[in-house]
Formats: sequence, structure tokens, C-alpha cells
Amino acid sequence: MHHSTRRTVLQRGLSLGIAGALPGWTASAFAADQGPIVLYNGQHKATTQKLLDAFTAATGIKVESRKGSSIQLANQIIEEGARSPADLFFSEESPPVAALAERGLLARLAPATLEQVRAGYRDPDGYWSGVTARCRVTAYNKKMVKESELPASVLDMATAAWKGRVAYVPTSGAFQQQIVAISALKGRDTALAWLKGLKQYGEAYGSNKAAMTAVERGEIATALINNYYWYNLAQEKGADKMQSAIHFSGNGDPGALVTVSAMGILKTAKNVEAAQKLAAFMAGVPGQEILTRAAAEWPMNPQVQPSFGLRPFGDLHPPKVNPPSLKGAEEALELRREAGLA
Amino acid sequence: MDSPAASLPLSSSAPPPAAAPRHRRRRLSWLPLAALVPVLLISLPLVYVAVRTAQAGLADVLAELLRLRTLQLLINTVALGAGVTLLTIGIGLGVAWCVERTDLPLRNFWRVAAALPLVLPAFVASYAWASIGTLFQNLGGAIMVLTLTSYPLVYLPVAAALRSTDPGFEDISRSLGAGPWQTFRRALLPQLMPALGGGALLVLTHMFAEFGALAFLRVQTFTTAIFESYELHFDSATAAALSIVLMLLCLPAAWLEMRLRGQRRIAHVGRGAVRQPHLVRLRGWRLAGVLAAFALLGALSLGMPLGTLGYWLLTGSSAGGGHEALWPAIRGSITFATSGALLTSVLAIPLVLLAVRQRSKWAQAAERLPYIVHGLPGVVVALALVFLSLRLVPGIYQSLLVLLIAYAILYLPLAQSSLRGSIELLPPQIENVARSLGKRPLQVFFSIVLPNIAPGIAAALALMALQMVRELTATLMLAPTGTMTLATEVWSYTNDGEYAAAAPFAAMLVVLSIAPVWVFARRMLHPTR
Repeated sequence: MHHSTRRTVLQRGLSLGIAGALPGWTASAFAADQGPIVLYNGQHKATTQKLLDAFTAATGIKVESRKGSSIQLANQIIEEGARSPADLFFSEESPPVAALAERGLLARLAPATLEQVRAGYRDPDGYWSGVTARCRVTAYNKKMVKESELPASVLDMATAAWKGRVAYVPTSGAFQQQIVAISALKGRDTALAWLKGLKQYGEAYGSNKAAMTAVERGEIATALINNYYWYNLAQEKGADKMQSAIHFSGNGDPGALVTVSAMGILKTAKNVEAAQKLAAFMAGVPGQEILTRAAAEWPMNPQVQPSFGLRPFGDLHPPKVNPPSLKGAEEALELRREAGLA
Repeated sequence: MDSPAASLPLSSSAPPPAAAPRHRRRRLSWLPLAALVPVLLISLPLVYVAVRTAQAGLADVLAELLRLRTLQLLINTVALGAGVTLLTIGIGLGVAWCVERTDLPLRNFWRVAAALPLVLPAFVASYAWASIGTLFQNLGGAIMVLTLTSYPLVYLPVAAALRSTDPGFEDISRSLGAGPWQTFRRALLPQLMPALGGGALLVLTHMFAEFGALAFLRVQTFTTAIFESYELHFDSATAAALSIVLMLLCLPAAWLEMRLRGQRRIAHVGRGAVRQPHLVRLRGWRLAGVLAAFALLGALSLGMPLGTLGYWLLTGSSAGGGHEALWPAIRGSITFATSGALLTSVLAIPLVLLAVRQRSKWAQAAERLPYIVHGLPGVVVALALVFLSLRLVPGIYQSLLVLLIAYAILYLPLAQSSLRGSIELLPPQIENVARSLGKRPLQVFFSIVLPNIAPGIAAALALMALQMVRELTATLMLAPTGTMTLATEVWSYTNDGEYAAAAPFAAMLVVLSIAPVWVFARRMLHPTR
């Protein structure tokens, strides 16, 4: 009787599955009150884990890390509201942390922590701080274009002369910050004209990685991206095999905009003291060294030197806008819509 | 008293016996209650969308929607959905018919192989195609790539239905002088309609919610716009307004599918698959054509993406890191996917049974609801559960239970479409006979219904486990802190540009996905074992 055997299999399967699932159902209810602090981590998982291991070794405080994309985590914290299990939020870029600060979800960082960080790269009200910095660059395929041919300003790349030769990622976070920076530095009309030019002459890509690999493969001559996308690919592929290189425009040009990864402590943190200790560790010399040895970014603590052969932070000559003033995501979207890019 | 067994109609295109109503109500009394659970769960995202939209206010919502961009998004979304759905119907039906109704050499191999593209997550395939160049980075490319990854969603249920259909209908049709095409259209196709329509609706709503693949292929739809409002303004109100449009888009499709199925009753007594159906002989150029088409399909849907994955496995210096996370990730994937698939099946069975047995408007609407919600992007469902679980039952937040509920909400239609084909074929008269012999309703369910719909349950478990194993958004937000899955690891590494480090996890994901496809496809080949 095949029916009865099949029935037995089904019943066994069902009971096994339910029994297997039960133990985990209530597990998180216990972890809430005491014990480790909870970090919502939007940054590189392995690097952050190295940082946390060093922190635990130094202080004995255990940290539970929850990895996600920074924007998703910020949205999650907003939905969680006052009940958020997170103590500290480490974001890949500053706007998600700034969004939490705007909604009154963050507590002030300790003054001693803030003082470790370069002025201008932390929230003036002290609710969040930059941790590491990266620079907007022009990645170019060495066979398709010479560095000397690249214009002095990124504003001159949205022109007929560069038709079909500039990749840009209209939806990326750093691109929004760049739009805001251009608008703040050169006026709204210039920013709008730049976007319209990119729409007309440039090639929109869905992600920074896709744009970077397109340049490396010779699909397109240049891409407007962050410096570390090139270093990531170079590390993956071997720097000597790279068909592409990166160009820093410097000179106060919006093409050399500096953006930061950032951290903030939740107002509803269950263990504020331990969270403050972790924030201090991240801004201090040991934490900064761990973070910048693992990724091609500049430390925000001036006592630490960058790795990866990066030029000194002082030589970047970024434009005169800094992360705390780069908020207007609304304005960026409005401009993109006016330009037909959104 | 019970209707006598002697009055059992062999083919039940006739209405059920007149004596049934009083009795049927009693027999089904546990069903509506059991079906209420999935309906309540599936309503959770609707509650969230309503709350968030209300916060935005009607004026803001209209201002957001009445823009030229909305029209462009509408065109893209509908074109993508319609294009992929039509192509998957053509390919899914064609492949299923070839492996089940022709004497194609190596049929058993092709049966399983045709389901294998399911092992590849759409974002892996689209990354592979996008890496060839800009040729595929547009709407046409997206339609092609997503068709290649999703045609098994139509093929599997249709093939399962082909195996369960009674070849007698076709024999009769042929004996009455109908040609092969007429026999296919009038005797076979109507029997396949529930499976075909269900699969197609699934693909369509799936396309509405697709995000990961479209980011690589540079196509903007409502779902990419929803992601944008979360990403740029942390604005759940606009996202909610756009979500409503997505659900409205699913409505006509769900209605059409219901009409397509109509009030047709296709149940029959006895398992048709026991007898060998008449096989069409493939010879000469026809055989060569079919084999060439199968080979091409395999190369495009499997060969290309797997080749890219292999390339990343072999190259790159980020390889070698993170292998110690491989086992915890495999364990996490298996635990979440198997318990999620089981829970979702348990929730889906009463819902489908109710809709098939009680053809009331409410039962039909309840069974359609999950398909409408299936058009919602995962991020909306995940945030809905973040918002609601913390406010309603804070103790279960970020525990396995909430994650499994999220899986159930996201993938209930996968279970329904697989189950529906089997349940439609089960005649209610058999249950009547069992009841007349003194069995209690639940006894009837376990001794008659469950064994008879086992092939459908097997297909349901396979499809759900496959989707759950690669689910990302809800897993990232809702899985217990500290746990990981293969999909979250792949995402974590590719997010940082470390394709080679991601490759072992992606490869394990593929290997893990082969198992259910293989086991269940084999099982369906030998339904009596």
C-alpha cells in the first residue's frame, strides 16, 4: 500500500520539521536585556569583525553585530522606533546616520570621541561622527583615454566632447552627495545643467561595481565613482593586471568630493556606556588602524596614516563642502527628476 | 444520509450530487478556520501599507503618483511583466509537453535538467549577462534573462499536471477523429489550465517585485522606485503609495487567472498517471530541432551563468577568506528554508482546499490575496513585519518565528500554485465516500486528501525551499542576530566587490538548490514510490 507509506513519510517529515524549528523561536527574547551590545553594521563585515574582536580583547565587552546595507538598516531602525534592539549604528556613508539624527533617534557622542575626529567630518551638534573617508574619482581605461586628456573639472565631463564615454550611477548615494555639493558650490543651475549633460552624453549604470567593471573591461572610457571601487577590483584582480587607473581632480573641484563612513549611538541604547566605549575605540588610533589597513580609505583620526599607498589626506584638496552639510537628498532627487534622471 | 457511492460520476464535469450541501458544510467546517490563519498573516503587509500611506496624506500620495515618471514606470513594469510571462508560458508549456508527451531520448534526464535553471538566483544570472556588455542591459535583455531564470516556475507545475492528467481524455478525442493539435487544445490544455495559469500568475507577480536582477540590467520599475524612496529619503510613505500601485497591477492578473480557470471541474477518479499516455514520435528533423532547442535553452539558462560563477571561483585574491563561515551559513540556509517551506505548506493547503471545494466569492478572494501581496517587493514585507511585530508581540522580534512568517507571506503563492494542480484533480466524491464510511473530517484529510495531493506538496516544498534559500531582504532584517545564510554571505561579499570570496557561497547555494530540484523531480517521475 503505497498510500500509507507516503502518509507516514509526510507525517514524519512534518513533525521533524516542526520539532527542528521550535528551539529557535524564542531565542532572541532572552538576549535583549543584558549581555553584549548590539551593533547594526552597514560596513564591510570581515573588517568590522576584526575591529570588534580587538575591542572585545581590549575591554572585555562583547559585541553582537548585525550586518545589512546601511540604508536598509537605517530604514529598519526608523521602523523599529523606540523599541530598536540596536545600541550603535555603523554606516557606510553619513546620510543614513544623519537621517536618524534628524528624526531624533540618536544620543550625543562623548566629547572625547568627537575630538579625535577631523573637524568638519563630524556632526556639529555631536550626534554622529565620520569614521573613515573616501574620495570621488574618475576611473578611466588606460587604453581608451590618457590621464592628461581628462578635464580639470568633473563639470566638463557632461559635454558633447565626452559623448558615450562617461559612466555614472544616478542612484548611488555618493552621486547624490555630489549633486548636492555641486549645487552648494556652483549653484542649482550648474548642478541641473551637469545632470542634463550627463543624461544626454553619459551612460547611466545601475551600480558602482558595474560601472567600474565596465571601465576595466573597456566597455566605456571613464566612470565617476569612489576611489575604493578601483582598489577593490585591483585587490581582486591584481593591481598589475588592471586596465584602468583613477584620477583625483583635487583643486577644490566637486569631482574630488570627500564622503565618510559614519557612526551614531541610539538614544534607546540599552547599554549606553559600553556603546560609548566602542565609539571611542573606533575613533581612536587602534580602531582607525584596523579599519584603514583593510580598506583603501583615509582615517578620520589625524594621528593615523593611510595605507594602500593612498596620498596624504591633506593632498586631496576636496571642495569646500563637508559631510555634515551634504544632507539634501530631497534636493538631489528634485534635480535628478528635473533633469529626467529619476 | 450520505450520497451512495454508486452515483459517483466518473468524470465530474457534472455538478456535485444534490444531496451534498448540508453534509458538505459540516465536512468543511474546520477548513475556513484553518484558512483564516494564512489570510490574517498575509494581511499584515496590507495593514502596514495602509498605515504608512495614511501618514503621507492623500494629497502627497496623488502628487507622487500623478507624474510623468509614474507613467514611464508603469510602462516598464507592465512590459517586463507581460513579456516575461508570455515567454515563460511558451517555453514552460513546450518543454513540459516535450518531456512528458514525446518519445524524446533521455526523457528522464531532460525532465530534471529542464528544472535546473531554478538553482540559479535571478541576480546571479543577470550579473553574468550584464558582465557580457551593455547589449543586455535594457528592457529586452531583462525580459530575456528573467525568462530564462523563471520558465521552470511554469514548466514544473505543468509537467506535474501532465503526469497527473488522465490520458483517457486524449484517447477519446483521438478516437473521435480529432487531430493532434485539436486533441492538445481541447482535451489536454483545459486540464493543464490551473497549473499553467497559476504558474504564469506567479511569474507575473514575481516580475513586479523583482529588484536585484534589474539593478544589474538597468531597468526601472515600480519596485526599483520603491527601493529608491527608501534609499534616498528614508521615506516609507512614498514607498507605500507606490506599493499600492503594484498591488493594483496584480489585481487584473489575479482576476484573469481566475476567469481562465473558471468554474471548470477537472477532477477524476483514479490516478491517470498510472497508465502510459500516448507518446508522439519524434524522428528526423523534428527530433533534431527539439534537441537543439533544449541544448540552446540549457546553454543560455545554465551554462552562461555557471561559467561566470566558475570564472570567479578560479580567479581573484579575495578567494580563500571566510571559509570558516561556510558551514554555519549552510546550516542557517537549510534550517530556515526547510522550516519555512513546511510552515508555508501547512498554511497553504487549507487555503487552496477551501477555494477548490467551496467556490464562494470569499474563498476565491482569500485564495487570490497572497498573489496580490506577492507583487510587493520583499523590503516592504520585511519592514511591515519589523513595524508590526515590535508593536504587537515585541518578544518575537528577530526570532525564527517572525522570519518564517515573512517567508510564508512572501512565498505562499508558490505553494498554492503547486498544490492547486493536484487538489483540482482530486474528486470531492472520494471524500464523500470516506465520510459515508464513518471517517471524521480530519481523518479524511489525512487518509484521503493528503496522500493524493502528495505530488503537489512535493513540488510546493521544492519551489519554496529554493526561493527561501536565496531570500535576502527579509533574512537580513528578521533572522536572529548572529545567524547567517549562504544568500546573506553572497550578498555581503558581492556588496563589497569581492566576487571571488562570494563564489564558494554562491556555488554552495547552487549545490544546495540542486538537491530539492533533483529529489522532487525524481519523485514526480515515480509518483507511486
